[in-house]
Amino acid sequence: MTSYKIWILAAVLVFAFISIAPWSAFKSGVMIQSVEKNSTEFEKGLRAGMIINEINSNKIANLNDFSAYVSKLTFNETESMKISIKTGSGDFTFIKNSPLSITVESIPSTKLKTGLDLSGGARALIKPANISLDDSQISDLVAITTERFNVYGLKDISIRPVKDLGGENYLLIEIAGATPSDMEDLISNQGKFEGKIGNITVFNGGKNDIPHVERSGQQAGITGCYANQGGGQYCTFTFGITLSEEAATRQADVTGNLSISAENPEYLSEKLDLYLDDSLMDSLSISKDLKGRVTTQISIQGSGSGNDKTAAIKDAEVNMKKLQTILITGSLPYKLEIVKLDTISPVLGKEFLNNLLKLGLIVFGLISLILFIRYRKIKITLAVILTMFSEMFITLGIAALIKWNLDAPSIAGIIAGMGTGVNDQIVIIDESESKKSSTLKQKIKNAFFIIIGAFFTIFAAMLPLFWAGAGLLRGFALTTLICVTTGIVITRPAFAEILRKIKE
Amino acid sequence: MEQKISVQEQQTTKKNWFDKNYKLLMILPILLTILALVYLGFFYSSHNHEIILKDVSLSGGTMITLTADISSINFEEFKAELEEKTLLRGFDVSLRKLTDIGTGKMLSISIESQSGSEELKADIESILGFALTKENSSLEFSESSLGKNFFNQLMWALLIAFILMSMVIFIMFRTFIPSMAVIFSAFSDIIVPLAIVDLFGIKLSAAGIAAFLMLVGYSVDTDILLTTRALDPKKTREGNVNQRIFGAFKTGILMTSTAILAVLPAFFIVTGLPDSFRQIFLILALGLFADIIYTWMANTGIIKWYCEKKGIQ
Repeated sequence: MTSYKIWILAAVLVFAFISIAPWSAFKSGVMIQSVEKNSTEFEKGLRAGMIINEINSNKIANLNDFSAYVSKLTFNETESMKISIKTGSGDFTFIKNSPLSITVESIPSTKLKTGLDLSGGARALIKPANISLDDSQISDLVAITTERFNVYGLKDISIRPVKDLGGENYLLIEIAGATPSDMEDLISNQGKFEGKIGNITVFNGGKNDIPHVERSGQQAGITGCYANQGGGQYCTFTFGITLSEEAATRQADVTGNLSISAENPEYLSEKLDLYLDDSLMDSLSISKDLKGRVTTQISIQGSGSGNDKTAAIKDAEVNMKKLQTILITGSLPYKLEIVKLDTISPVLGKEFLNNLLKLGLIVFGLISLILFIRYRKIKITLAVILTMFSEMFITLGIAALIKWNLDAPSIAGIIAGMGTGVNDQIVIIDESESKKSSTLKQKIKNAFFIIIGAFFTIFAAMLPLFWAGAGLLRGFALTTLICVTTGIVITRPAFAEILRKIKE
Repeated sequence: MEQKISVQEQQTTKKNWFDKNYKLLMILPILLTILALVYLGFFYSSHNHEIILKDVSLSGGTMITLTADISSINFEEFKAELEEKTLLRGFDVSLRKLTDIGTGKMLSISIESQSGSEELKADIESILGFALTKENSSLEFSESSLGKNFFNQLMWALLIAFILMSMVIFIMFRTFIPSMAVIFSAFSDIIVPLAIVDLFGIKLSAAGIAAFLMLVGYSVDTDILLTTRALDPKKTREGNVNQRIFGAFKTGILMTSTAILAVLPAFFIVTGLPDSFRQIFLILALGLFADIIYTWMANTGIIKWYCEKKGIQ
């Protein structure tokens, strides 16, 4: 009758197993990491997270298969190619004349999400300079920053608001695997883009004034590379933008009042000055034919430099992409500053994981040994170790379910939680083995008084960590609490039951 | 049978000795707490009103950890050159290397400075002659006002955690002296490791302070065990106070030993874990060692005394 406690443990373990889904390791295929918005693939319904199994009837079992097949495809602008992609969520067929606009990754072997300490990447805590934001302002900021990162093309990014004990709001940005310099550039530039004629602003960055920005094709690209005087090379880029009717009319109103330039009669007396974050980026002469005319097409130029041509092209392309991003997303409502920035190398993360497994094995071994020396009973030792393992497994299952990023503090929390678990089980064993005349039920009740007391003290101690320090140590508190709560609700009662069965 | 008798005899001897000396046993832990408090006071006054040494996550600044391509670096030369460079810009820099205990191989070099991340990175790159990338290094930067803010909040969190824990203890035992004995023990379990950390000049990170919070909860379970067993309010246990205390001691020492065994391999066997991780475990280990002294010398003495006064057999 009472063995339902063991059944509950078994059921929760099954649930944890399903939640972690370790069988993903045996799946074949590649997972779509991102699909470029406005691309044919996106329009046809391909989305991040889908598993690709076949392309044009070629089996794709892993990343190597994918790269090998995709590198064989040759696209050119005049000839279109039929692409047929078979995924776990359906088949997609479309015609393309340019490379695929998707990025893929290996299928993760489990649903556990690893934080920066394990997977590497960058994390930044951002605050608007000289201003405190309320909750709705910060959520607007999250939306616009997210859009900026997405348009720029950074993948696997998490942006969320965090609040600290003092009530201060921050933005926490985590990017797996990315370089922090991209992140810094996208955040530290407010991206206030203005087109001015004289002192009058005729248009700003963002969808209201600039509904369309050319990003590829003939209207956007590198226009030429030249030698720098001081050595190295620089390359120029250009891309077209389309002004809204409103902005174009505003511009026409202003140019209508301009006179013909005295020095250069082909142009008007004032130039169209383009400012980015209040500094002059470019100055375009306005042809006299455009006086008072509503024109919606404008061409934007810029450049990039490097030690050699390849580096200069790369730099120009990056600069173009950043400027396009800013023009599309508009300016951030506040000037932001990075108040904390951490980057962790993926190599270090992998090493950490290996060390952690090694540490886990050693700790399990040592604890088994000491318990066996003390109790001299293999069944009891095994029961403690299995319970400890169950607590870890259930905590990981819950972490996978709530999509918690497991970072170093979170893992330390699981270990600490397991430590209290072992302590509690020792209390149960010793109480049950005491020589007093009361029943086993009473003895276990005695043990539970101590265990519940210890649980509440841990709970009380960890609670403030949820808010202190912008919640950066929340993982430590969360996993500890999940682990000890699992212990008190599920594994401890089951352990007491197992112990009763061993003693019978 | 013979073995059983000898255990019984041992217990009887122990009991007599314990009865005579338990008050004396309390002197060492109390002295240790006083010593730790005096040292912390001295530390506070001699370190510009700071109770701990803070790393960049709490004081602001940059920490760069080199993890690859370091085998060719001569640590001492690199240190001297970097110190000279950063001093020119008016900043201090401190370097630490992590070596594998088994092979003696240098695993990583950590460089900490109050300067900004770009400047420090440039200085390091110019000495090493190669670029720092996400593959060969990790970087941690905190603005100084944020670090200060974090530290203050974590201190508040520690205080709140301690008050909440004390409330739980009072609700559990509902008697003043036994509850205060547990709280004194928990307080010392924090103060003594704190003094030791300061004594060894360890710079604490935010994660390190979180470990102190953990200690608040972690260190009291043996005290709860002792107090519950010794007071035995529901009279469900056999044996006199000494026997019950000795029974609790056997359980408690096993609990603390397993906990210590769980945290120590992170230092002596598996090196190369992140600093935040190692620091959490170091503080837990120090706290657990302190807990042995405070539970089984101080708290035991107070409880025994209390039982004698209250006539609890």
